[in-house]
Amino acid sequence: MKRAPIYGTMAEFDSPTALVAAAHRTHEAGYQKVDAYSPFPIEGLAEAVGFHKNRVPLVTLIGGLIGGLSGYLLQYWVSTSSYPVNVGGKPYHSWPAFIIVTFEMTILFAGISAVFGMLALNGLPMPYHPVFNVPRFAFATKDRFFLIVFASDPKYSPAETRRFLESLGGRAISEVPD
Amino acid sequence: MSAARANQLDTMAPPVARIIQSRSLVIGLIFAAISIIGGFLRPDEFFRGYLLAYMDWLGVTLGSMVILMIRHLTGGGWGTVIRRILGAAMRCVPLMTILFVPILFGLPRLYVWARPLDSMADKHLREHLQEITKSYLSVNGFIVRAAIYFAIWNLLSFFLTKWSREQDQPPVRDNNRFKVLSGPGLILYAFTVTFAAIDWVMSIDPSWISTIYGLVILIGQLLSAMCFAIVVERILVKYKPMSDWLKPEFVHDHGKWMLTFIMVWAYFSFSQWLIIWAGNLPDEITWYMRRLNDGWGFVGLWLVVFHFAVPFVILLSRPFKRDINRMAWLAVWMLFMRYLDLLWNIEPNFSPTFAITWADVVVSIAVGGLWMWFFFRNLNSMPLLPVHDVDANEVLEPAHG
Amino acid sequence: MDERIEHAEGARAPVIEPGYTFGTVTDKISSIVLTRPMSNGWFLGFGVAFLLTMMMLYAMAYLFVKGVGIWGVTIPIGWGFAIINFVWWIGIGHAGTLISAILLLLRQSWRNSINRFAEAMTLFAVSAAGIFPLIHVGRPWLAYWLFPYPNSMGVWPQFRSPLIWDVFAVSTYATISLLFWFVGLIPDLATLRDRSTNRGAKIIYGILAMGWRGSARHWDRYETAYLLLAGLATPLVLSVHTVVSFDFAVGIVPGWHTTIFPPYFVAGAIYSGFAMVLMLAIPIRKLYGLEDFITELHLQNAAKVMLATGLIVGYGYVIEAFMGWYSGNRYDAFTLWNRLHGPYRWEYYALLMCNIVIPQVLWIRKLRSRPIALFFVSLVVLVGMWLERFIIVVVSLHRDFLTSSWGMYYPTRWDWMTYIGTIGMFLAAMFLFVRLLPMISIFEMRTLLPEAEVKE
Repeated sequence: MKRAPIYGTMAEFDSPTALVAAAHRTHEAGYQKVDAYSPFPIEGLAEAVGFHKNRVPLVTLIGGLIGGLSGYLLQYWVSTSSYPVNVGGKPYHSWPAFIIVTFEMTILFAGISAVFGMLALNGLPMPYHPVFNVPRFAFATKDRFFLIVFASDPKYSPAETRRFLESLGGRAISEVPD
Repeated sequence: MSAARANQLDTMAPPVARIIQSRSLVIGLIFAAISIIGGFLRPDEFFRGYLLAYMDWLGVTLGSMVILMIRHLTGGGWGTVIRRILGAAMRCVPLMTILFVPILFGLPRLYVWARPLDSMADKHLREHLQEITKSYLSVNGFIVRAAIYFAIWNLLSFFLTKWSREQDQPPVRDNNRFKVLSGPGLILYAFTVTFAAIDWVMSIDPSWISTIYGLVILIGQLLSAMCFAIVVERILVKYKPMSDWLKPEFVHDHGKWMLTFIMVWAYFSFSQWLIIWAGNLPDEITWYMRRLNDGWGFVGLWLVVFHFAVPFVILLSRPFKRDINRMAWLAVWMLFMRYLDLLWNIEPNFSPTFAITWADVVVSIAVGGLWMWFFFRNLNSMPLLPVHDVDANEVLEPAHG
Repeated sequence: MDERIEHAEGARAPVIEPGYTFGTVTDKISSIVLTRPMSNGWFLGFGVAFLLTMMMLYAMAYLFVKGVGIWGVTIPIGWGFAIINFVWWIGIGHAGTLISAILLLLRQSWRNSINRFAEAMTLFAVSAAGIFPLIHVGRPWLAYWLFPYPNSMGVWPQFRSPLIWDVFAVSTYATISLLFWFVGLIPDLATLRDRSTNRGAKIIYGILAMGWRGSARHWDRYETAYLLLAGLATPLVLSVHTVVSFDFAVGIVPGWHTTIFPPYFVAGAIYSGFAMVLMLAIPIRKLYGLEDFITELHLQNAAKVMLATGLIVGYGYVIEAFMGWYSGNRYDAFTLWNRLHGPYRWEYYALLMCNIVIPQVLWIRKLRSRPIALFFVSLVVLVGMWLERFIIVVVSLHRDFLTSSWGMYYPTRWDWMTYIGTIGMFLAAMFLFVRLLPMISIFEMRTLLPEAEVKE
């Protein structure tokens, strides 16, 4: 992996409206490797930075299917072949009774998949990240909004990008060391 | 917007409603004539089919009243936009009151407790009936209770309609009276429909008891009503004014309600089944034995798949729920499933093997035709939206983006 | 007056008092954790709760030494306090999930200021509930036998039993509740990491926040996962109390075997859960000055949910009683008679008072906005719901089909010590929670501010 001395250029904004507008204009200006940081989810921001493929639902669906299937098959195998017990004359394959555990296993696996799938796709936990090198970035979890253009962007040049972000009204523009 | 408010004509139902109204009447009358002739020739089948048709259309009527009362309590554009559709369906309560009368002529044919006890072959059933027919399941008691249910439903419908009509003439009073009536109204509905379900359906098999049965019927009514409202809004959305009002968000909300009702129906039905299956008591499980054997089992399986599983999966899709055309198709299908569910509840009491008689089909169409005629007559008599009500703003404001 | 009605009823009423910014919301909530000094009241409250927890541990230790014989359970009443308290606590937990999941799906933004501590309440209530079946199995160190795993004995759980369904339902519920709560906490943990001045706290919050930086891509996946979890938790929470009701209903004991039980149990669970939410929220908003965030609207809405679910419970009583009579089944009829006239009739009358009669005062709008009155109604409901489980468990078991197997149930001091001890444990956990973690979701409160909306 190429180690650039600079990770990207970051600009600070005051409001969610300013951040979304800036993200849109950065994208329109031809920058592709862009990200935005905000203290709460902002509708439309992910699209503005060019993010479309959200795979969390797919991961959840697969997890749920695996959970439900394995739950039912476990009960079926245990009750009919591994350890068949006659209980109250009920058939070994008592499907009405098996629905409950199947349902719970579906929910359990789907829920675990949703959470850990989300974390994995987000690359979390991540103890170190270059953006934390910017001192003002601590306000990204309070009331400030940040936009970064990564150095890996083909159109990136420290001076040009800085000028561009200034033209968007970004403040406290800084180069983020890697 | 102010122009729309000033001009009442803009808010009336489109001409297509009148066309459907008259055609429904023709269909209803023709099929009613066939039913009456059939009723004299084959009275047993007629009354069974009549009870089925009656319960089916009563579901749309009362379910609409309930969704309307829920709307009055919670507010929300989804309910305001179909408010007058629900209201028109609710105002079929007087029609359903009149249509209840024929059932009274068929009591001994429908209900074993209304027949002379000496004719009973089953000794246990006879002993059981000796007790219960003295105190509860008597013809007089049946009529008196029905009169109470209808009195309550008619009163609720009357006031909700009267106040709604008053909102068309400014100045509009505040909406608080709707809320004051709707809270207790929902409680009254829950109890009356439960006891009606016991009287009219559960007591066909008087030895069978299920405490959740009232709720199973109740949730079916809500589902029927929501599906019917979706079908009507699909008809109206092709014309003004509904085409200006119906936003995808509202359809989305209707889809969520539909999904909720389907899930709750499945939840109640499954709970009843599992508890009775696990207990396996002779009084109870026989009800299911009839319905899971000799052809009826196939209907039961069909209900699991097409009353629950398939619509459930389809309705998980967000784009589907926002598309009124596709939603309308599913709603029509679900109305058919409601009919089939009631068939599966009622008919096996009379026929141990799977059977659909001429009456199950013809009488349902007859009652349905008359009901639809009355419904569209109601719909045409009032504007499709109480535009002076503050709640209407959410519907009248143009969709953004 | 009418304007007040509109305020209380409509979703248009402010769920957060005006005048706050992103910064002040953040500071106000996080300062409770980061800078506010420990008060004597907190130490006193925590101390009492901690002592009660110790009492519970003592009772449990004695139980492990002596066995369940120290409890009041004996044939015919093999299920005493353990199952009553288990059902009571599980039910209380339900409100937390309802607030965080169902109200999220219904887009009820008022949930944002109470969902965090309601979820915490769920976790602690489920923990308290989980203790009872574990210590009731007799040999709790072998409780892992409840789970299916390949073992040298060659035996497996019996999947037609509702008790094994309970194992799956409750453990799934605990897991999903924990995940839901933790996922909701991640952005706020990052806030605490960045706000904290204490190095040790910074490190701990930093580890827990896992490097959250609020990237737009992360938020997008985060919100999707959060919504999916809500969608999964909603049927889950209904299933949990349904399965609890199956514990009773699939048996054929009169008073237990009735099909209304699933919805009736779920409604009762939400009923008691909202009562607990109010009992916690009312003092917390007062003591920590959070009236601007937990407003009158929240009290009104919670009270309305209580009223509605209480009425569903009432419906259950009426239908059960009617069917007991209508069925002509002499055992069902006797159960009804026994509740009204038997040795536990006073408990039954108290139950009707607490669950049905007294809560009807919630119809009065003015009362719904009086915190102290609401607090006491909630207390009454919690007592009533405990009595309901007592009646269901004890009255049905103490007089079953054969008169030769009739008996009485008398809880011992160990029963009471364990039960009261779990209340202490629950409260101690709540005391710790309000000091260590933000009890209101900061990032979701930010989204409620008018300036959070993107203007085009």
